[in-house]
Amino acid sequence: MNGSQNDATSLTDVLAHWASEQPNARAYVFLKERGGEDASLTFSQLQARADAFAARISQRAQPGERAILLFQPGLDFIVAFIGCLKARVIAVPLMVPRRTSERDSSAAILADCAPRLLIANDALRESRPDVSERFRDTSFEWLLTDGATDVQAQASKPARTTRRDDIAFLQYTSGSTSTPKGVMVTHGSLIGNLEMIRRALGSTPGSTHVGWIPLYHDMGLVLNALHSLHVGANCVLMAPSGFMQRPLSWLRAISDYRAVEAGAPNFAFDLCVNRFRQEHAEGLDLSTWKVAYNAAEPVRADTLDRFATTFAPYGFERSALHPLYGLAEATLLVSGRREIRAPLTRTVSRVALKRHELSAPTSDDDRYTLVGCGLAVSGEELAIVNPQTRLALGACCIGEIWVNGPNVAKGYWQNADATRDTFQAVIEGRDGTWLRTGDLGFLDEDGRLFVTGRIKDIIIIRGNNHYPQDIENTANNSHPALRRDCGTAFAAVDDSDNEILVVVHELERTQRNRFDADEIIGAIREAVVNEHEIAIGEVVLVRPGALPKTTSGKVQRSLTRLLWQQKNLDVQFDDAATHHAAGS
Amino acid sequence: MENLDAAELNIRRWCTDYLAETLKLPPGRIDPQAKFARFGMDSAMSVFFLVALEDWLGVELGSDVMFDHPTVAELARHVAGRFPQAAAAAAGK
Repeated sequence: MNGSQNDATSLTDVLAHWASEQPNARAYVFLKERGGEDASLTFSQLQARADAFAARISQRAQPGERAILLFQPGLDFIVAFIGCLKARVIAVPLMVPRRTSERDSSAAILADCAPRLLIANDALRESRPDVSERFRDTSFEWLLTDGATDVQAQASKPARTTRRDDIAFLQYTSGSTSTPKGVMVTHGSLIGNLEMIRRALGSTPGSTHVGWIPLYHDMGLVLNALHSLHVGANCVLMAPSGFMQRPLSWLRAISDYRAVEAGAPNFAFDLCVNRFRQEHAEGLDLSTWKVAYNAAEPVRADTLDRFATTFAPYGFERSALHPLYGLAEATLLVSGRREIRAPLTRTVSRVALKRHELSAPTSDDDRYTLVGCGLAVSGEELAIVNPQTRLALGACCIGEIWVNGPNVAKGYWQNADATRDTFQAVIEGRDGTWLRTGDLGFLDEDGRLFVTGRIKDIIIIRGNNHYPQDIENTANNSHPALRRDCGTAFAAVDDSDNEILVVVHELERTQRNRFDADEIIGAIREAVVNEHEIAIGEVVLVRPGALPKTTSGKVQRSLTRLLWQQKNLDVQFDDAATHHAAGS
Repeated sequence: MENLDAAELNIRRWCTDYLAETLKLPPGRIDPQAKFARFGMDSAMSVFFLVALEDWLGVELGSDVMFDHPTVAELARHVAGRFPQAAAAAAGK
């Protein structure tokens, strides 16, 4: 029954298949924040609107040119995205810049991909006039999706058909604010990974999906929106802000629509438990929910336990919990093949894990439970590699996770050096080129992947990646009492095993005896949240010269992190320390 | 000294207590005149704060209210003025 999907070159072939097989079935529903449906599209309506919109795109852009997609949550994004695929114009989904952020990555992304079009809708233009102002120096044409249905779709276009190697979209989740890297996802890698996802999750046209992850995020785009389209299922979407305000509205939608699949980053499962109120859950039925996937940030065993326990009375089955591992550089999914069992966990020594070794815990305090992220998806190879020697490691040895398969993207847009380093790595004594994920982990005796850490310098908060050099740059300029270029930022784990951002900065020599710590720390916190939408876990101010530096004067980030962990920094003021001193 | 009625003062106290607990700071370090961004609150923390305040008062405030009234003092004054009954009831809680 999926023959036409297996032969498909592009997702547009798959849409054509469903539009003819089940024209009146609903492909997408968008929910209002306070309940009820805001909009919906059947497969045939989506096909017609995307055709009409593709004709408008083709009048303005050549195949291979780029179009930025800038949308608030809603179904117009889907029409625009499919329209781009049909017109063979490369889609570039972009987060709507926050008003408070003066220097986010959007300007650098526009400069990097040089778009011909910026596709948006009336709602965005009206509610966010500042966006036009922000992008005034970039030359592109605005194209609005509104009224697309009024334009007659042109008769079948004679343009050459899509090739598997053509780029479908650029995913800018990697690289810092100043040097963003756009992952080139081809039509072939997209359709290849969607087929892997279908098999891994066992999805059918009856696998109704409920999601709230933003569509500019790789997980929201590929795993919610495009995966559902690929398998011919109904995808019910809601705004991320609606979920954050009322987490149970996500579960309510799963119950109302008898959904089979829904997932989110780990924090969302914690949020559902923390905000659970019995009186709000009356009549909730989660018994249809068979695939509750958890991805995009480290999966925690205690989160899964708490969630399963809290929602068991509402029909939720623990075996539905489904940890996944993936990244944009592999289109999305790398591991998480479905098994009819609860997720596999493994309890190891916390201390040994910090040295990247596996061993049995030596005491109760030393126990740390890792959650397995399943088997490699079918058609793909995983290897665990020593990043220094480039030798493959055996089962249960921790090393960098490397991937080889048709889902691996083509590289970074116009960045040959980074493409070579990340996408074309070679394992000593083995054929082929591999994708380096920058994540650390091991494969157990049965080939199940466990992710244990990372070697790439990123900070993951609520499923979003942040780059330390961006945070450092912002902190550096936030207050005159801070010594220029003498600070650093890194990810750490707090007492409850949550990932937090720590900022350490030296004070100016002239300032250190008469500074107002509250004012400086407030300035750092305010600048970082305004620019990066990230709440700092801990700010540490140190005396001038206290941070370890290279011979060229650069602060050594990982050594600073180690000194901080060992409490060996010469601290002048630590806001966490004062909490404890003054608060408890 | 500002002139605060009981309801406004009570809302202020609720806000500073909530923020102190969330940010793990002693309540005395939450300056009611400081902007929310000063505490490094991201949008998720702001949403949770607002939802908790709405639950406590039993009213709906709207998502822009912290943008329009960006300090504890301004927010308390606004809320007390807009929902005098809920605020008075809260003062008695």
